[in-house]
Amino acid sequence: MNKKVLILGVIVIAIIAGLAASFSVSTSEIVNLDMGRTHGTISTAMGSPILGDPSAPITIVEFGDYQCHQCFNWFHNTKPELTRDYIETGKVNLVFVDLAFLGSDSPKAAQASYCAEDQEMYWDYHDLLYTSQESTIDGGWADSERLKAFAFSLGLDMELFESCLDSGKYSKRVQYNIQQAREHGVRGTPGFFIVGPDGQQQQLGGAQPFSVFKQILDPIV
Amino acid sequence: MESAIKFAFSNSKYIILAITIFTSMFIGLLILSEYIFLEPYVVSHIPSGTELGFVLIVIISALSALVLPMNIFRIIMLQKSKQKMGGSILGSIIGAAAGACSCGPIGFAVISTFGSVGATATAFLTNYEIPIRIVAIGILTFTYFTTLKSLKIECKLNS
Repeated sequence: MNKKVLILGVIVIAIIAGLAASFSVSTSEIVNLDMGRTHGTISTAMGSPILGDPSAPITIVEFGDYQCHQCFNWFHNTKPELTRDYIETGKVNLVFVDLAFLGSDSPKAAQASYCAEDQEMYWDYHDLLYTSQESTIDGGWADSERLKAFAFSLGLDMELFESCLDSGKYSKRVQYNIQQAREHGVRGTPGFFIVGPDGQQQQLGGAQPFSVFKQILDPIV
Repeated sequence: MESAIKFAFSNSKYIILAITIFTSMFIGLLILSEYIFLEPYVVSHIPSGTELGFVLIVIISALSALVLPMNIFRIIMLQKSKQKMGGSILGSIIGAAAGACSCGPIGFAVISTFGSVGATATAFLTNYEIPIRIVAIGILTFTYFTTLKSLKIECKLNS
């Protein structure tokens, strides 16, 4: 009898541990492996992992450049409220797609973000780039050495990261994303598409304030 | 000094011109610098960290609105040379150009059209946006005082 209780107890504990493990996986960063991923008419297959609940009814596709100061403004002034009210509540998710056009360091910074994704640290690296942005374009704050230093500060495996960045592994991925932006008429960064549950999409240009996103999102959430 | 300004703006046409210049420059620069959005809703905001840029736009618009009509007045009413007009136009253009490029549609168009040359120009105008605007304010201020001095001499006004 005692043996049976013990075995049953072990099984129950194993099930609980399994559930806890699966829950922790679902809340960590999910690497995008869906090469056919689209949101509305936009192919986001080569974009970032999804930030937030992948099954959220609304997706915001952000086209951005890590050297763009208006993207910096949006990241610091609008995104925190958007994250708190819509992304963390499961109403909206967000995908970042590169429109790296401002300078020679822009595509490299975008490639570095995908090297960080290889180690499931895309969003940490993305956030660090926008937190560390300096006001000068191609002023050296996002050159290869600094991009590696950012990776080091996040505790990434430097051998993997450096080989990824130096080899230009994600060069074509970034070019594909830039092409997506051009095909969809994005004429500057940041640029947004808000894709609703039935696929209808609305384009927004510039670092618009939170109130604009709220006005668009509330009727369709 | 006051009498020279009053003299130049004694004709209401120049007051209307000043208001038109201020309004169009101010609103235009605020749109270019993304303080105002027209689509999908008309909204205005000043993101934190961009307050200085906003103040410089106000100063450039105000100085342009003051200096340009005064110089037009000199040229039309007093038949004087257009030399000082160049300073006010230059100051206004420099002030406007500093914020026009960047990551917005104009910067994107310049880079797409002119490639690496456009990218270099855009980077320069973006990197030095604040110093360029301060230089523009300097040019407009200098033009303002020289214009005032000229008006006092040309019109034989007593300060």
